Amino acid sequence: MQISTVQPVFKLELNHKVTPNVVTIAKYDGTHPCLTAAAGYDKIIIHHPHGGVGTGRAQRSQAHGEVSELNLSQAIIALACGPLKTDSNRDMLLIGSPTQILAYDVHDNTDLFFKEAPDGVNVIITGSFGKHTETLAIIGGNSSVQAIDWEGNEVFWNVVSGKVCAIITFDFDKDGENELLIGSDDSFIRVLKNNQFIAEISETGPILSLSPVNEVRFAYGLANGTIGIYEEGIRLWRVKSKQNALAIQWSGDTLACCWSNGRVDWREGTTGRVLRRIQMRANAAAMLLADYRSVGAPDLVCVSDKGEVLGYPPYQETAGFNSVAKNLPSEEDRQAITELFNKKQALMVELQHYEANAASGNASLDSLDRPATAMPTNTRLQMAIVHSEDEGCLQLAISTNNETIVRAALVLAEGIFENGETFARHPRPSQLRSLLHVPLRPPRDVPVDVHIKALIGYPDSEQFHIFELTKQLPRFSMYRLLSKEARNKGNSYVLFRITERVQRICIWVNQNFLLEEELDIESEETKELHISLLCLRDQSYLYMDFGADGQVRFSTHDIRLAGDLIQSLAVYLNLSELQSTAQFPEAEKKLREEMEHVSQIGEARSRLAAETAERAQLITALLPAAQDAAAYDLREMLNRYKEVVMLNEELLTGCYIRRSTQEQAVASLKSLHTILQQAVRLRVGKYGKAVVAASRKAVQSNNIEALIKIMQVGGDS
Amino acid sequence: MDYDLARIDYTVCGITYPDTLKIMSPLGPKVDQKFAIGDKNGVLQCLSIKDEEPVVQFKTLPGKPITSVQLATTAGQQADKIFTASGNEVKGYTRKGKVFLCIETALTETITSMCIIGNDLILCSGRTVTFYRDLREYNSYVCEDRVLDIAAFAVPNSTRIRLLVLVANKGAVLLENGKLIARTVISSGPSRLSVPPSTHVTDIVAFYGASDGSIGLIAYEELTLSSKCLVDGRGLGSVVCLGWYYNNGNFHLSVGRHDGSIQLYLIDMDNFGEKPRLKYTYFCGEPVTSVAGGCVSTEESELLVATFSGRIFALRASHLVSGVKVPQDILAARRAKLEGEVARLEKQTANEREKYQQNTRSLHAGLSTPPLLDVQHELLGAGSDGWQEVRMTSAVPLDMLFIYCNQKLQMQTDTAAVLTICSSMETGSDILASVRCQAGTRRVWIKIRYTSDTFINSRLEGKRVLIYVLPAGAPRVARLLSLKLPALPYYSKHESEKDLGSYERTLSQLQVSGNYSVAEMTSWLTEALPGELPRPASEITFVRIHSLLETILICEYQRGNATFKSDNVSTIAVLRNIVSNCSVEKNISVEITFDIPEDCCVQSFKNIENKFKVEYQKNKDLILKNAISMLDLDSSMNEEGPLLCQEYARVWDSKDNIIKNQFNDLVEMVLQWYLDWRTLSLHNDNYGNESTKLQAALKDCRLDNVLKILSSKNS
Repeated sequence: MQISTVQPVFKLELNHKVTPNVVTIAKYDGTHPCLTAAAGYDKIIIHHPHGGVGTGRAQRSQAHGEVSELNLSQAIIALACGPLKTDSNRDMLLIGSPTQILAYDVHDNTDLFFKEAPDGVNVIITGSFGKHTETLAIIGGNSSVQAIDWEGNEVFWNVVSGKVCAIITFDFDKDGENELLIGSDDSFIRVLKNNQFIAEISETGPILSLSPVNEVRFAYGLANGTIGIYEEGIRLWRVKSKQNALAIQWSGDTLACCWSNGRVDWREGTTGRVLRRIQMRANAAAMLLADYRSVGAPDLVCVSDKGEVLGYPPYQETAGFNSVAKNLPSEEDRQAITELFNKKQALMVELQHYEANAASGNASLDSLDRPATAMPTNTRLQMAIVHSEDEGCLQLAISTNNETIVRAALVLAEGIFENGETFARHPRPSQLRSLLHVPLRPPRDVPVDVHIKALIGYPDSEQFHIFELTKQLPRFSMYRLLSKEARNKGNSYVLFRITERVQRICIWVNQNFLLEEELDIESEETKELHISLLCLRDQSYLYMDFGADGQVRFSTHDIRLAGDLIQSLAVYLNLSELQSTAQFPEAEKKLREEMEHVSQIGEARSRLAAETAERAQLITALLPAAQDAAAYDLREMLNRYKEVVMLNEELLTGCYIRRSTQEQAVASLKSLHTILQQAVRLRVGKYGKAVVAASRKAVQSNNIEALIKIMQVGGDS
Repeated sequence: MDYDLARIDYTVCGITYPDTLKIMSPLGPKVDQKFAIGDKNGVLQCLSIKDEEPVVQFKTLPGKPITSVQLATTAGQQADKIFTASGNEVKGYTRKGKVFLCIETALTETITSMCIIGNDLILCSGRTVTFYRDLREYNSYVCEDRVLDIAAFAVPNSTRIRLLVLVANKGAVLLENGKLIARTVISSGPSRLSVPPSTHVTDIVAFYGASDGSIGLIAYEELTLSSKCLVDGRGLGSVVCLGWYYNNGNFHLSVGRHDGSIQLYLIDMDNFGEKPRLKYTYFCGEPVTSVAGGCVSTEESELLVATFSGRIFALRASHLVSGVKVPQDILAARRAKLEGEVARLEKQTANEREKYQQNTRSLHAGLSTPPLLDVQHELLGAGSDGWQEVRMTSAVPLDMLFIYCNQKLQMQTDTAAVLTICSSMETGSDILASVRCQAGTRRVWIKIRYTSDTFINSRLEGKRVLIYVLPAGAPRVARLLSLKLPALPYYSKHESEKDLGSYERTLSQLQVSGNYSVAEMTSWLTEALPGELPRPASEITFVRIHSLLETILICEYQRGNATFKSDNVSTIAVLRNIVSNCSVEKNISVEITFDIPEDCCVQSFKNIENKFKVEYQKNKDLILKNAISMLDLDSSMNEEGPLLCQEYARVWDSKDNIIKNQFNDLVEMVLQWYLDWRTLSLHNDNYGNESTKLQAALKDCRLDNVLKILSSKNS
């Protein structure tokens, strides 16, 4: 594919560097769009081609006449805009710094609100969802989402496991109300409706971008370079690139994708086939949809990190980007002919292969005059997965049915290998057998598709046959069935009640666990089911007891696993609501620690901030004094400068300490939220929601005992 | 880029060797030209084009691979005879496809190129150039290395013929009557010759294309053969074929390259030495094996191209393509016909596939022996950065490569492919890597480099690298390529013995005597040296140059006796290890003696002193640049005057040219010199302390200290 020579419809230079992904386009006066971007650490630039933004804090830039600069004293993490104020259609600018959110009315030069965000700020969007009709600012933090209205009041809060990297509002279940689609760095896309998660899509890497396509489709981009489109929760297609997708936008019936190296491609919506491709002169910083020319239809606005802005109109199938019809019918025929020759060539190669094979088909099996490419025709490859307790992994056994050997095996699977998605085995010549073991260690409990390419031949072959197999690992494949019943099942468990026949539960077990032979219910009358399993990861035990009275008890020390099991079972049995009681001493202990930690850090932080402010003030006083001293006494000046230097060093040390406490605080908050999230996952439906609401309240009032109570018995609903 | 040419596909044939497509000269003034193409299946086709549809004039039966196709250029007559070479056979065909000549020569190697002038036939195979007059062997000449290409020139007022021969790793030689009359050394590694079309056959002048991508001119004037580089390679692929394209009254040199690009260079026919101007570039995605210009289909000339996998297409001026020359319905009919053909093939293939798969289910085990995948590969010697490149070309699109070596290596690959280093379970000292290719990739390169900590291991023997090549579609077989990484990858530059001057060198010497043959010594040296070695002969002498340090290695060997001289003491040490290792393996007892001069390190270091200083400065700049880049300076803030002092601004503005830097390599190599020198010259007393000092001195570029340590006899 060659880079096409599509010309942009407009092009401008900002003459400022642009921080990637911190760019937005806002209509501050309600009509004219202005490109707004973070330029460097703490500077915001606003491009206003349609006449100046009123005076105020924004200063006219020296480097570009149509650009104003706005300086903040904080790092800028995220920018967003939207008509937050209900009485006006003017866009407000939302500026996210590591711990704060500032809403600023650029047109009136007033601050709307200023709010601390202890969970951190990763991404801000504006939009409405659920029952909320007004435009809200939605903030994705390190492990939470939060929505605030124009006065800065929190309207909504929820925990999300993992750092939130992307949010969109999207009507996922087609009920006319928007849901929140949240992509986080733990590789899940979650759908939040009415403060409860109604769907969870497992992906293969941290989700970096989400973008709505139409009523039923949305597009996503991952940190590992994958982009794709989902339709009603089912993946239509995906492609992978070496680069990271910085932004994806739906423009004119094509999916435009902007890669971090400055390449932009337009892809067909249903297949992902590349239609057009351009390359910017520098790395990309953003790609947005906006009617920047005021022509009535949004253009694709691409911004490079050097400040170059290019605008492309929506892609049109027939004419391409240029209105002149360039493709004559004869040209189309010629391209088709080139394509057909490609096909013909491939077919001829394959045909030759079979012909040559048939010609030499009656060669003998003797190893002496065996050609270097030979293999018995009836060779077949068999595969099995067994649990290996000693090594704490699954062993994938690949074997042939005759004397041929497995020269090498490549296992392709996403998300289960430490580096990349390929795992390879290449035994040494002395160890070549017709059987090869490949260890697998899925790190999390999700279903995995494993593709295997095995190279089969004789040890001295020059060419090997490729055998390809695909196997699906069930969700809980890392648990091995134990035959013996245990007496002491530990004191960590979750208890709940379901009304379902044991037979159906049996099917669930068969589907979700990797069992050597299927679990069978002996007779129709059986009402109870007791299963003991061993986790291969940490050699811990899991007991599942389904009692005759509908009482279910999952005993495991791992609260996350219990949650996963409940969620999986609830989906299988189609349960909309489930309440449970839980005892997880480990998690409770950790919760206490983290809560204590968080409150300690909070104190330390305010003390440090005060010290810093004090020193900074001293310096501002000392500096002019030193300068004055230069006029009369050099020795005095030197002394004063020495003091300044000393204070400065103290300030720097203070700064390091503050940074590390901040990091600690974030980490503590994150693990706190993770535990809460796991507690939520022990319940389904409104009971889960109740846990969120109750624990938010408890965290705010710093009530540890209440939190633990909530975890044990759920929130009151 | 001034020209606008469009691609028109004509047909497909088998895999083609370089320069096997030829356009025949027209019979009359207004007749379209025909062309002949020979492929690996041994099929020679003569085709003409009518309304973009190929019409077969004649087609031979399959046979041995055709490695060369030439047209007879009888003086005064039109070139209307086609000659093909396959194996050691030469066949002659008339325009109508009648065989009028078929000779089997006594040559032992495959004929790689040939020349026909009148009744004279010149064949090149391996290292020999054989001259036949009236089909009888007249004389022959054995070159120092493989003959790559040849051009014949008549001598004025004589029946004698002068031959310009390109010799691998050496340059060009001019032969007359089986004797060498002139030679020139071309370091860029020329691979293909092309004689400008309108010159008198007596002027000896030819363009060459080289493996580093450059293009130059060879001329014989006033009894000396000289060469001149006209266009630098600049990262373009190696030249596979050259041709001429005449358009708008101008002659263009067309260049087909291994990386799939085709260029047209405008040549000033009155002054060949003038720099050719690039007019057009096209990328076809796979190596180009032939380019030729001619009026094949229309009255205006077009460029006919054949690729490695056997695609034949034309590049024609766009205004002609979109013109009304070919009626729409004919094109549509052609498309429909092809569609039908593809559908038929699909069905046939499906049938065969079914048959093949049935075989796999039968109890009676037959043997499946698919033909080897057509994958060409080549391992290049290291440049100054130490990376060795492996190039692979396949006739079918590739899915992935799987690479194994029993020692850790650094690897890089194409931008069109994703390299993953797979974790290896067993010992941890080996490396497993997979390279996943983009759809439709037919050529891919990997670069391999010893890591500094495994370099010590490689001093004992060459390293074997296994590459499994997996195609994307059928046939589902993986070809195994086995490569040997030499222990001294840097010695990739060839040099003739005479041109060693300029430096004062102190040569260390290694002598090996024992009961071994030249062939055995050659095979031992393949463990150490990259690229092809001279074929065994009674006495062999060659010189290689280190691509980074520019130290030399002179190898002289004959049966039972070998002498290696180098001003790089580490090279001598490595060679000694390898020779003794290999001889032990072969059970041949050899006697190894060496002579290491006391001042070898000092003298050699003085030779690289300047280079060392430059690299030291570069390294410093690089560190500084990294530091500056961390400051995250905003270049738009310059209104308050320059931010950086002059020195820093210089470093900051020197954009990309200091990214690569070999300072650390240099330090390591010099250190190794010292260690080897101490070991070999038996000053084996404790020198650990000294070497640490040396390393520190090298790192800080304290050259006086370095020289002092290097020249100290004993500490």
